[in-house]
Amino acid sequence: MQQPPIQQQQQQTSSPTEFLNNVIGRPVLVKLNSGVDYRGILSCLDGYMNIALEQTEEYVNGQLKNRYGDAFIRGNNVLYISATKLRE
Amino acid sequence: MTEEAVPVVEPNAVEEPLDLVRLSLDERIYVKLRGDRELRGKLHAYDGHLNMILGDVEETITVVEINEETEEEVIRTIKNTAEMLFVRGDGVILVSPPSRTGA
Amino acid sequence: MLFYSFFKTLIGQQVTVELKNDLAITGILVSVDQFLNIKLDDIHVVEEQKYPHMMAVKNCFIRGSVVRYVKLPASAVDTALLQDAARREAQQPTVPAPR
Repeated sequence: MQQPPIQQQQQQTSSPTEFLNNVIGRPVLVKLNSGVDYRGILSCLDGYMNIALEQTEEYVNGQLKNRYGDAFIRGNNVLYISATKLRE
Repeated sequence: MTEEAVPVVEPNAVEEPLDLVRLSLDERIYVKLRGDRELRGKLHAYDGHLNMILGDVEETITVVEINEETEEEVIRTIKNTAEMLFVRGDGVILVSPPSRTGA
Repeated sequence: MLFYSFFKTLIGQQVTVELKNDLAITGILVSVDQFLNIKLDDIHVVEEQKYPHMMAVKNCFIRGSVVRYVKLPASAVDTALLQDAARREAQQPTVPAPR
């Protein structure tokens, strides 16, 4: 069966866990408590909300500051994880 | 000498985020810390708190100073080195391994 | 436990502990516990002019949570042993699975 588009999936998901499972392998925006944003492909995460991202871009005040092939983000810094559309 | 049964399986797949750090052992990594500090060094050890031992370390501290007369923001970087450094994990924001090829 | 065991092997060595408030203290490592609290002897502050209030202090206890870095003598560190220990520790699951 084909995967439904992400918007539709988001409406179907009922729990945070389901949301996280659905966004693994998809592009996400991770916002840290400091306000810094990371955009990348979510490889995986653990119970501390430690995050592994691929093709990561770091945005400070909305400006692209760095790129990382792989990035590990320590979970305590994470404010939220948001599913995003594929980068234009 | 006792032989410990350490399984030699080291799957190269990243199944949990800490695998990314494990696969960087003996490699130079980039670490972003609280307080506008960055480190580059060779990873010798880490644990689940992201406590780390780095070798041949270069620390970069970014300081934004404001010239009171001209009100200009002056960005200054301070560089330090250390041959061997223990880093407490609670200050870690991000760890980036060297780019892996063929993984 | 990896770093607790590691620091125990460094007892007697001179180390520099940099705190989160930027104070850096050099001294002989005399003891460490599971929280990585640290006791130092024969201490001196790295920037003595900036922190003169510490000049008369000969030894100290540092709460682990206020430590930013500990600078170590490379000669006292067996990096191959550390890497093995880190790989071994990685096999014991310490991180809860995502729920």
